[in-house]
Amino acid sequence: MKISFKNVSFSYTDSIDDAIIKDINLQIESGECVVLAGESGSGKTTISKLINGLIPLYQSGTMAGDVLLGDKNTADMTLAEISKYVGSVFQNPRSQFFNVDTDSEIAFGCENLGVEPEEIRRRIDKTVKDFHLESLLGRNIFHLSGGEKQKIACASVNATDPDIFVLDEPSANLDLKTVDDLAEIIKLWKSRGKTVVVVEHRLHYLRDVADRIVYVKDGRVECEWTPAELEAKGPEYAASLGLRSIKLVQLGGARATASESQGESITFRNLKFSYQKKFPILDIPELSLPKGKITALLGHNGAGKSTLAQLVCGLRGSWSQKRAARKLGTYLIMQDVNHQLFTESVLDEVLLGMHPKDETAAFEILESLNLKNYAEKHPMALSGGQKQRVAIASGVSSNRNLIVFDEPTSGLDYRQMLAVSATLKALANRGKTLFVITHDPELVLNCCHHVIRMDHGRIVEEYSL
Amino acid sequence: MKLDPRTKLFLAIVVNSVILSAPPVYSVLMFAVPAILLLFEKKWKFVLAFFSLYLAAVLGFEHLKTMDVGRVGTLAVSTMMIVSRMMPITIVLYYVMQTTKANEFMAGMSRMHVPNKVTIPLTVMIRFFPTVFDESRAIGNAMKMRGIRLFSLQTLKNPFAILEYRLIPLLVSITKIGDELSVAALTRALTPEAKRTCIVPIGFHVQDLVVFAYCIAVVVLFLLRPVS
Repeated sequence: MKISFKNVSFSYTDSIDDAIIKDINLQIESGECVVLAGESGSGKTTISKLINGLIPLYQSGTMAGDVLLGDKNTADMTLAEISKYVGSVFQNPRSQFFNVDTDSEIAFGCENLGVEPEEIRRRIDKTVKDFHLESLLGRNIFHLSGGEKQKIACASVNATDPDIFVLDEPSANLDLKTVDDLAEIIKLWKSRGKTVVVVEHRLHYLRDVADRIVYVKDGRVECEWTPAELEAKGPEYAASLGLRSIKLVQLGGARATASESQGESITFRNLKFSYQKKFPILDIPELSLPKGKITALLGHNGAGKSTLAQLVCGLRGSWSQKRAARKLGTYLIMQDVNHQLFTESVLDEVLLGMHPKDETAAFEILESLNLKNYAEKHPMALSGGQKQRVAIASGVSSNRNLIVFDEPTSGLDYRQMLAVSATLKALANRGKTLFVITHDPELVLNCCHHVIRMDHGRIVEEYSL
Repeated sequence: MKLDPRTKLFLAIVVNSVILSAPPVYSVLMFAVPAILLLFEKKWKFVLAFFSLYLAAVLGFEHLKTMDVGRVGTLAVSTMMIVSRMMPITIVLYYVMQTTKANEFMAGMSRMHVPNKVTIPLTVMIRFFPTVFDESRAIGNAMKMRGIRLFSLQTLKNPFAILEYRLIPLLVSITKIGDELSVAALTRALTPEAKRTCIVPIGFHVQDLVVFAYCIAVVVLFLLRPVS
């Protein structure tokens, strides 16, 4: 099914002057796979919402122009009608499932469309076979990893058999292996003649599936390339547009353990954790992090990285481990920073953990993180990147030595990733030791000194960059 | 053992009304139903813990309620009363939440001709509880990280601060999740007009009859009891 945008503008306010999408003309042919790329806030997600009908049917605002699915105008359809033709997968795997068990979740869309139960069973069986989901059936979705949840979300829209698939940053929380599985699913859809639209920062996994990459800037389609054309222009060109690299950045470096490299290091011994004695989640005899340096922690979803971070920060583990963590002074910057901002202003946030409270010092910290102008603002009113910096500021102010980051750049564009990387470097220069859990090779290459790779709860590789 | 969602709804209503109006004998009789049903779900430890706490509270309250126990004793006795009243309600809700799938629930409601406009928000609520616990745990971790403790000089000086620290991030994150959840539901055709099907067959079986008969019997016994 063809998608056509005819002179489409949209604004989230009453006035079309504030349009986030400006006069877009775009034709996506039946069976095509198109990637919408561009910096955060460029309007690419808005374009995806225009396709699945959330705009104008759910989100209010001012719209001009027409969006056609085949020859039907989305403005004249209902969301239920559109959902027969368009299947959507969203960014956050936690908030897009409606059932607690996987089977019901895959059936959910079909049930809502009133498909007969026997037919639904048949479709589930086929989807499970195509997507290799056998091991995920009959499970509690709350116990699945982010990648597994995202596969179930894809399976659920697949079961309703729409002609168009719209994916909004589906890979934001996924590791490299799961991202490859996602690419396979998109390939399968394409081979069946489906139209696929992917809004995405990470481009490398779409290199072999995408027909076109459409670059959106300030609400307009600026230009478009085939993946080969973009690759030929080189990584500097992509970076100058704020795009992530289309070729997967390969990491590698001189092999050396942290203890062999010069300088002091913070050492943890005997990091073990298990829910049941026989199945250790984590078993690390020794972990050393070079002082004042940035160490990256890589590994697949479920390798035990988050558990390791929690042990290091004293959120889990034995009483003595917790006490050691408190004595050392560790601080965790969570992936969802909304969870760790508590007070009514940015300044209070910094003062909260400070003993004794010293406003001058607090302002100094805010200054170093480019937050001085926001001191009186409510933390929840800030942008994602600013919130993250406030969380960092509160860690610095409470005088912690080791700061652990959990996925600081998931879902960020190239420029934002560079900003985070600069913040990390600045912290290291202040003498802090940083430990960064990440799936982002570009971030690692940009700022990390040392890399540790984990698998099945053990350290399998260590090297310096 | 699988019950029809309508039976569970009936059970929840009967348990709640009996507990709130009847003497303890009847509430013990009612407490038994969800407890036994949970045993079928292999929740041994949970049932044992709840049942012993409940029994202790009921017996303690019955034994002590007419005695003069002093000021501290009164506090203990009223706690026992609250526990003995709230426990059966908690356990029956826990049972319903644990065993009812969202699609079963919606199918049951539509068989009773309840409009989707009522059913959908209720279903979202069921889906929401585990999410709230998940989020709350993450926030608790963040508070520990910041050194905000439940018992400290700081929180003693300002006890409401701790409530605020917990609630504000929770509200922000569940509002966001709620919005994303409704978007996900809408794009998958869950609308008030939807005529849903359900892959889990629902219907009344022997076990439903037993539960119905038992509940009705307890209610009848209660209504016909000799009033002294």
